[in-house]
Order: sequence, then structure tokens, then C-alpha cells
Amino acid sequence: MLMPPFILHHPSTVEEACKISAELIKKGEDFDWVSGGTDLLANYKWRINTKPHVISLSNIPGIDSVSNLEIGCMARLSSLEGSNVHPMIAEAAGKVASSLIRKSATLGGNLCLDTRCFWYNQSEDWRRSIDWCHKADCGTGSDCRVIPNQNTLCVATYQGDIAPVLMVLGASVHLIGPNGERVMPLSEFYQLDGMKKNVLEKGEFLLKVTLPKDSMKRIGSYQKLRVRDSWDFPEAGVAVSWLEGDKGSIKVATTALESIPREHKEEVSQIIAEGWDDKSVKALAGAIRKSVKPVNNTALPPNYRRSVVQVLVKRAFSQIK
Amino acid sequence: MSAGYRQQPNSARKDGKRVAGKQVFPPPGSGGSDPVMKERDLNFIPESVGGKEPQPAGSHIHDRIRTGTVIGKPLPLVDSNAKVTGQAWYGDDVRLANESIGKILRSPHHYAKIISIDTSKVEALPGVIAVATGADSPHSFGVLPVTKDEHAMAVEKVRHMGDLVACVSAVDEATAIEALGLFEIEWELLEPVFDPKKGLEDHDDPIHWRGKYHLAKTNVQKRVFQEFGDRSLVENPFSSSHGKWTMAGVHHGFTEPHAVVAHWDPNGRLQLYTPQQVPHYTHRALSTVLDVPMHQINVIRTFVGGGFGGKSDPFPHEMCAAILARKSGRPVRITFDREEVYWINRGRHPSNIEVKMTADDEGRISGFDIDALIDGGGFASFGHVTSYYNGVLATAPYELGSFHYTGARVWTNKPASGAMRGHGAVNTRCAVEVGLDEMAEEMNVDPIDLRLANLLPPHSRTITGFRITSNGMREALERVREGSNWDEKFRKLPLGKGIGIGCGFFISGSGLPIHWDPNRFPHATVHIQVDMDGGVTVHTGAADIGQGSTTAVAQVVSEVLALPIEMIHVRSHESDTSPVDLGSYSSRVTFMNANAAIRAALDIREKLLDAAWDILGYHPNTLIINDRRIYYKHDPAIGVSYLQALHKAQEDKGALISSGSYRSPPMGGVHKGAAAGLAPAYSFSAYVAEVDVDIELGLIKCTNVWAAHDCGKALNPLAVKGQIIGSCHMGLGQVLSEKMVYGRTGHLQNANLLEYKIPSIHEMPHVEPIIVESSDPEGPFGAKEAGEGPLLPILPAVVNAVYDAIGIRYNDLPLTPDIIFKGVEKKRKKLKLEEATELPSPRFTHGPKSIELQKSLMKRSQEHKKRDLARQKTEDTSPYVNGVLFGFDPNIPLEDQVEGWRMATEPDPEQLAELGLAGRAWLKKEQRQMESEK
Repeated sequence: MLMPPFILHHPSTVEEACKISAELIKKGEDFDWVSGGTDLLANYKWRINTKPHVISLSNIPGIDSVSNLEIGCMARLSSLEGSNVHPMIAEAAGKVASSLIRKSATLGGNLCLDTRCFWYNQSEDWRRSIDWCHKADCGTGSDCRVIPNQNTLCVATYQGDIAPVLMVLGASVHLIGPNGERVMPLSEFYQLDGMKKNVLEKGEFLLKVTLPKDSMKRIGSYQKLRVRDSWDFPEAGVAVSWLEGDKGSIKVATTALESIPREHKEEVSQIIAEGWDDKSVKALAGAIRKSVKPVNNTALPPNYRRSVVQVLVKRAFSQIK
Repeated sequence: MSAGYRQQPNSARKDGKRVAGKQVFPPPGSGGSDPVMKERDLNFIPESVGGKEPQPAGSHIHDRIRTGTVIGKPLPLVDSNAKVTGQAWYGDDVRLANESIGKILRSPHHYAKIISIDTSKVEALPGVIAVATGADSPHSFGVLPVTKDEHAMAVEKVRHMGDLVACVSAVDEATAIEALGLFEIEWELLEPVFDPKKGLEDHDDPIHWRGKYHLAKTNVQKRVFQEFGDRSLVENPFSSSHGKWTMAGVHHGFTEPHAVVAHWDPNGRLQLYTPQQVPHYTHRALSTVLDVPMHQINVIRTFVGGGFGGKSDPFPHEMCAAILARKSGRPVRITFDREEVYWINRGRHPSNIEVKMTADDEGRISGFDIDALIDGGGFASFGHVTSYYNGVLATAPYELGSFHYTGARVWTNKPASGAMRGHGAVNTRCAVEVGLDEMAEEMNVDPIDLRLANLLPPHSRTITGFRITSNGMREALERVREGSNWDEKFRKLPLGKGIGIGCGFFISGSGLPIHWDPNRFPHATVHIQVDMDGGVTVHTGAADIGQGSTTAVAQVVSEVLALPIEMIHVRSHESDTSPVDLGSYSSRVTFMNANAAIRAALDIREKLLDAAWDILGYHPNTLIINDRRIYYKHDPAIGVSYLQALHKAQEDKGALISSGSYRSPPMGGVHKGAAAGLAPAYSFSAYVAEVDVDIELGLIKCTNVWAAHDCGKALNPLAVKGQIIGSCHMGLGQVLSEKMVYGRTGHLQNANLLEYKIPSIHEMPHVEPIIVESSDPEGPFGAKEAGEGPLLPILPAVVNAVYDAIGIRYNDLPLTPDIIFKGVEKKRKKLKLEEATELPSPRFTHGPKSIELQKSLMKRSQEHKKRDLARQKTEDTSPYVNGVLFGFDPNIPLEDQVEGWRMATEPDPEQLAELGLAGRAWLKKEQRQMESEK
């Protein structure tokens, strides 16, 4: 397959990267960021939302650091696997795709992963044959193919593995762009729309992830549902963690069930109030099942994915008690 | 007279150098990697001719030409060095000077008429070299001569999304892609058909039109009816089972996408490089489409990066490349994207299969009733044959009281289905084997014992008249039972763990060639040439698609001539130099080519022995041919080296040349369709699979497989094991995760290797390959196929194991987690259980009646075991036909013994109302009948 042409920019500092993006914005030229390229370039080859410019972060030194409280955006997933980061992060990173892809894929890329949908992740010919879709409408104003007759929201599914884990560890993300740096909890980073995906503004990129000091004391579990134990994106994922003995610290997050990964604060409050036993875990599992709304755009049908979230929640809790 | 010379053993110098005139015994022949001659490997020479190899299955006609060189030894494939060093040249590795890049314009519509194509803008684009459309290729082609329904590019209408519309060649890929966007096409959209059931109904615009042979106005491409045996046996059955299956279409998933390079050489001959399983049929089709005689075309088969049946049709893109190259005078290279591979497809048919079976109170199978509706997609491909195979390949290894089959293949607006490993047999086999298990469950007997008590013996005939020769079914079943510790596990494992059995039966080479030929043209021909250097060049058309046919041919020549395998050079790539071979399909290559190679090698061997006779003065009957040396049987010191004998044989005539061929013997019945499924030999297999089912999530993990396959004789045990393990992987894909998903708009939704889920290494169970050798009388050194048959049993073995694990029967393939989950939930709710983990495990519930039946089955299988052994060793040569188990006399035609013994290939009018889903095709009439009735 042929890569469509684009101009590749290679900044060597974060400041230069911001400068390039600011200039491109000024000129009105569209662009994408690229780190490992395992997500973006595959989409480019399918000519999905290609841009004339691509800014690569790979030549910037120092933004691939890995420590237990701070992980740079360019940290390769393979380097997280055997490192001293929280074991949950190492586990989740090790479950992403295949070892070959993990050598190239990065943490930043995984968190900013494009949402996926089988009406969208297709070749140009294929998408032309269905008259495009809302997410990549090629200027036609096409409707969503998953849920027809609504073209306000894209329901493509976020299928990253590491975001829910970082959420339950209380991670924050540092975003940087021409207008400076800002920090926010990861759970506020995502924005419910398969196209917008997150709060990144044009010209901004995710610089690093920081974790609170007590995160290393958390014990947790990540349950990933997939058809094959390699290559596959999660069809559903549940991350749970707590500071052992402190039920007020329980956090639960899910992924691959909606356009964004989500922390379930409301559902958890009940278990915190009532205490942790088999019954309350079951009730929590049921509540999460009710709150997630998967749609039919991944390999397994939504009803099934929704039902088994309960099992994943149960298993995650049984792992950490 | 004797010009021989006596060599003196043990006359080496202490420093290891040779003494002039006193050569070290044994002397070198002509080199090879090891210049020193080896002793005969008596472990690989049969007992009957003085070696040590035991022959439990009796002696074989090729025994006396065994030399202990390579047959039966595990040997890396001869082309493996090229592959592991990256030097093998696949389709896209061919780079000719001045090449241009071809791209194909594909249909964006499922079904549409082409009103007009305007190519003017394409032609005006700088960098475009040639453009072609359907107007450049009016001749139709197809792999089967009876169903030539394809064109290089759509002539009148497109039949599925991705169908070829036009093609363009340009200076580079980017220009070619740009050019594709400049075609201006006016379409008239037609109503597409996706559901095969709809294909049975009349349609305003049938996808193809067959004139007076067209079935009403339906999309039925082929219908089959077969009824054999005594149908009264199925009334009031003692036990019965009924399964209605939905099986998704699957793709071969080979590594190398299709690629082709076409070049018209300065003499105006076409040189076409393509990874093809059947270069000969491509050769024929090219000749038709291009209007050029076959001798002006040279088809060069590159290395094939996996075929599995998916590269065994002549393909339209091959024609496109040739047409573009002819127009432009420049070589054209076309390489597919993975998506295009799925659009050309030819994978296994999506199928709706219904199997009813019955057994009598003695546990005999009184009837199989199979109905198969298969979804052929847009073109016929091999579908004519597939329609038969879905029924007839289920008629063994069991003895049946009656057999009833209705099948139909319909055209739909999807990529064409075709032949895939286990062609036509896989889906029905799964349904049948699961049905047998269900019956065993109902009768409360062990399913292995039920099978063992109903097997056809060696040297017998199936109900539809297939000639069974060697048959290792019983041994295969016994060995997997023992290997898997079946009796300790079956119906005894805890919930979520299960074990299951499945058997297989497959043709070893199609008995009739695709292009029916009244002139007795051989199926396979091999030429051998030996020049003065002693190296042996073998010319064969056998297409090595990774299965190791080149190695097999090299091996048999090496064995017959007793030469190290590195002295055998197989040339099989070009149609200019290789004799006609029908190609790699129906598991025919090793069987037929090795037989042809043996014949050719025997000719050379005879010439060498005659030359040795001349030199030594001893008759060839008393000479032994060993590693590069021929010597006197009673005094090995008297002999000549291979080179000496060779040079003597070459006196006054130069290189030794020979030709050998193989053609399968006449056989089979005379009814319509009798040829489908005929083969000179059949392979048998039995697998036991063990699974872990995650009952809450519905995930299945296959943990262990004991896989016994009767390949007659393992010429190369390493290759056979590779085929068995590879088949397990491929079959597991179909049973667990692979499917071609067509969404609500009829688009193929997973035309890529991420979403089309081929199992990874993590999903692979431990496979214990068990080779059963039944020594087939017709096979080369007793060998039968091992390439396709081993795939069949893994599907039912896994489905049966899932039942053993959780007590639920599934009739949908693949068994994706959501399907399993749905079944579990249904049962959980029915039993009013709180948790899925409380489901009951299936257990034997023996009553006095079932214990008695179990005992009688075991007794019968013990008796049959003795019977089979005597027949295998040809101690018992009495005729045996399907029906003897039911008390019929094999010496009298069955129809004379039983009133109502049927041999029908068309339904009776009163039957029409009762036929199954596919059988409904028989409610329609052909156009010619409709006309004559008017």
C-alpha cells in the first residue's frame, strides 16, 4: 500500500514543535502529530483523514523518560513492560497489540489513540462505496453508519488499554502547545465524541503523564477482553485499584465500550458507602453494565460486550481483595 | 568380458590419503556434500526385501525399489534454505527492466450494469501507459470448463463490490492510483442478493444467465440430488440426531497477496510470472482470453507464499496484466493489497447445512440425510464440484444404511467462494461428526466405540461407489483414544473442561482431471535428465505451494537411484520446460507426481544397472544399488561407482533421459455425478481435542490435540507433521474465530488481517501428531495425501469437546465468545440458575439397555478389527461393499437383494415437498423444460 504524500517536520525540542504547530495554524495548514506511528500511519495508508503536514516527536530528546511517577509521551510501550512503573501499567502495556508493535508504539500515542469503527477503519474505496461516514465524510456531510439518522455525534470506539489503568491510578496529563502548558487529571482529558476524542486543542500535544505519590501503593487489576491473545484491541476492558484496606480509595474505569475510556465515580460511591462484599460488587458490576453504552462497531456484538463487563468487574475485584 | 575391478577393503593409508589403485572402500560416486559413500540404511528398507523396517500393513509394490536413502526419514524441505534466507522469489519479487505498475479499478457497487465507461481523462494523465476495460477481454474463462463465467474485466455488469471494472498501467504506483480516480462510469444499479436463501428464488436480473440450462430465474448455479440405499431403514429409528448449522465463510489467509508480472518478449511470446497453484489452467485460460495459442505463452510459477486453494483459479488480474503489457509493450506488475485478496476471495463457502441421522437398535447408522445450501458469491469458480463434495465426501468412513443428499450452490453479490483446504468436505464433516456424537449421547454409548463399530473395512466400496483401498481409520481412532487417555476423561471432566472426538475422510487426488480428456492424457508427467556430472535434473509441473511437493519428488528419485538428495535438482517453475501437470489441488500432487517420478527414475535405474551389468558381468537381479555405488549382492567388494556406470550408460548417446507419468485407474459408478469425489486413494484421520471453556466470558481455549492421520506412508515424517500441525491451526481458526463478516449493507467488513481473526501462536494448543501408515497399494511407496484431510477432524473435535465441557450443543461456526455466551445464558435461565458456573456437566447416565448396547458395540468392533487386519494384509480378498453390515451379500448387486434399494440422482415428484432448504432448488424447472412445456 502506498503512503499518501505529506511534509514531515522533525522538531528537536518541545519549543520548536510548538513553534512549528503555531506556524502551521497561522498559515491555515492542517497537520497531525506522530510519535510511534502505529496508529496514524496505518490510517494514512487507508487515506483516512490524511493531512498535508505531519509533525514527528521522535527527534525530541528527553520526552521518553520512564519512572514510577512520570512517563514521557514518547516512552515506548515495550520499555514500560519491564520497567519499574506500577505493575498495572506494565501489564496493560504488555497486553497492547503485538511485541513488534509495542517496540514502536508510545504511551502518548496510546492515550491519544484514534477511535475505531468498522465503518471507518477501511480503505478509501471501501468507504467511498458506503458514501463515507460522519467521522471521515470527505466533505459530503455524511451520516453516521452505526446509528443512522443522527449526524451530531461520532460513536467510534476508543480501544486503548493503558488509559483506564492510569485513570484508576489517579494519573494527570500534561498538555503543551503554542499557548503554554496545562495539567489535568486523565479522567478529564477525554471528551465524549468519537471525532474530538479529547480536550487537546489544535497545536497541542500530550507531553507526559504524572502519577500521584501514593499510586505505587495502590494494588489493582486490569481485565482485558479480546478474541486473540495477541494483536487484538480490547473489546472491553476494566481497571480497578485501591489502597489496600481503604475502601474509600476504590477506583474503577472502563475502556473499549464507548468513544472514551471512563472512570466510574458515581457507580463506585455505592460500594464505598455499603462496604465491599460479593453482593455489593455484583451490584456495582450491574451498575457499570447499565452505564456503558457500547455500539455495534467492533468485532464482538455490543450486547455481549455489555453483559460481560459484569464478569470483568467481578474478576478485577476478586484479584485485588 | 568382465571389465569390473575388485576393490580392496581397508587399504587406507594411516595418514588418511588414498593409495593409488587401492581405493578406500567404498569409493566416492560423484560427490555431494559428503563424498564418502554411506552404508545402506537397513532401518528404512522393508523386511520383505532384506531390511529391518516392519510392515504391519503388508508389503508394497514399491518395496523392492527402496534403497534406504531418504524415504521415511525426516527431511527439511529442499527449498527451505531459499525461504529462510529470504532468497525465494515470490510474485512481487519479480522485477523486469522497464516495468510499469498496474492497478485495477474495482466496482463500488454490489450489483450494477455498466452503461458506459469514459477513459479519456485517464489516458490524458501524464504517466499513464495503458488502459484496458472489459471491451478488451470479450472471452470468458473459468477454472471448470462447464462454468466459464468470468471475464478479465466486467463486460456487461459487475457482480460484487470489488469486482474488476478496468485497469491501468502507469510509470509508478502513485500515478496509477491517481488514474483510477479519473474513470467516468455510468452505472445502472441492480437489486443485489446477499442471502443465499434468497438466491433460491426468482430474481429480475439473475447474476448470471445460463440460457436454456438456467434454473427458472433463480440464482442457483448448481443443484444436486443423491439418494442411495434402503430408505426404509430410517423409519422408526432407535436413535437420531438433527443439526441445523450456519457456517460463516472463511478465507485462506495465506501470507503472500496475489501478484503477477506479465511481459511480452521480443518474439511476441507472453512470459507471465505468477504465484499459482495450477499454472496449467492459467495457461489454458490465458490462451482463451488473449486469443493466443498455448505454445506462445510461458507461465512461470514463482515461489508461492501459501495457497490452500486460494491460488488455484485462473485469475482476472493475471489476464489484466497480460492485456496491459500487450497494449503497452512494457512489462506490467500488479500486486494486491490485502483487501483485494479478500475481494478475489475463493475461500470456503458460507453454508447452511442440515444433517439428520438415524441409528438402529444395534447401533448401526441407518441413514445420513444431508442438505447443504452454499453461498457461492459472484462466480462459479470450483463451485460445481463443491456442490457435490458437500454430500459425497461424508459417505465414509462409516457404513451407511442409506444416504440422502440435496445440495445447492447459489450466486450472490459477494466475492466468489471457491476451493479451500478440505474443499467442500469440511463443513458437512463437522456437522456429521457432531451429529454422531449427539446420537452416541442419546444412546448413552461412547462415541469412539460407536464409530469403531461402524467403520468400512480396507478394500471396500462406499455407498455411492467410491473405491476404498487402504484404510487406517481404526488404528487412528485407537491411537488417539490411547494417546489422549480418553477413557479416563470423557464425560468425567469438571465443568468448563472437555474432550471431544472427530474423524475425517478425504480424497487423495481427484480421480478425474478438471478438463475431461478422452485421450487418456496423464494427470502427471515427470522428466528426468542425468548428464555426465551425475547430477539428476527432474522436470515436473508440480506446483510447490509450501506443502513440499518439490521435496517429495526429489525424495522418490533420490530413493530409487540411491543418490543423496542434494544431487537431485527439481525444476518446476516454467511451463516451457516442465511437462504438463494439473496443479496443486485435491491433494493430488505427491500421490500423482511421485508416482510419475518413480516411473521415470526406474527407467534411469534400469539403464544404470544394465551398464553395471556390462562392466561387472553380473545380472541386474543380483546387483544392489546403494549410495553412488552399484555392487554384487554376494560380494559387495565387486562393484562400480555410480559415475562409472553412468558414463558407460551414456556411451554414444550422452545424457540419460526418461519420462514417467501417472493416470488414475478407471473406477467409480455410472450415475450422474459419480465422478465427484472419486480418487485413487483416500486418507483417514481421527483427532481428539481438549478444551478449556471460560464459561462466564464464553472464551474457548483449545489446550491439547491428539491428531492421528493415515497418510499411507510418511515419505517425509517431518513434512507430514508440519501439515498436521498447520491443519490444526487453520481448522481452529474456522471453529473459533475466523469469519468473513458481511454487514447490513452487504459490505465485507473485515477485509484485513486485524479484524479477520486468524489464531495467533497464543491460541495454538499442544498438538501431538500421530502418523498412521496403512500402506496404500497405489500410492508412491504406499503414501497418500496429508495436506487437506488433517484439517477436517479438528472442527468437530473442538465442537464436541465444548459440549463435553459445558453440556451445550452449538450449531454455529465460528464459536465466537458471544455465541457461547448466548448459549450459556439460555441454558442458565432455563435451569433457573443464579450463576453460569452452576451449570451441570454432561455425564453418562447408563441404564441396563445402554450398557448392553455399549458391550455389543465393543464386541462388534473387536470382530471388525480382525476382519480389517486380514483385508489390509490382503489375506482376505473377498469383495466388500457398503451394506454388508446390514446383512447384504456383497457378491450380488444390492438393488437385486432389497426391494426399494435406491440409486437416484433426481428426486421423485412425491419427494419434492419434503426436501430441505437446498432441496427447494428442485422445485424449479430449467428454462428448456419450461419452454418445452409451453
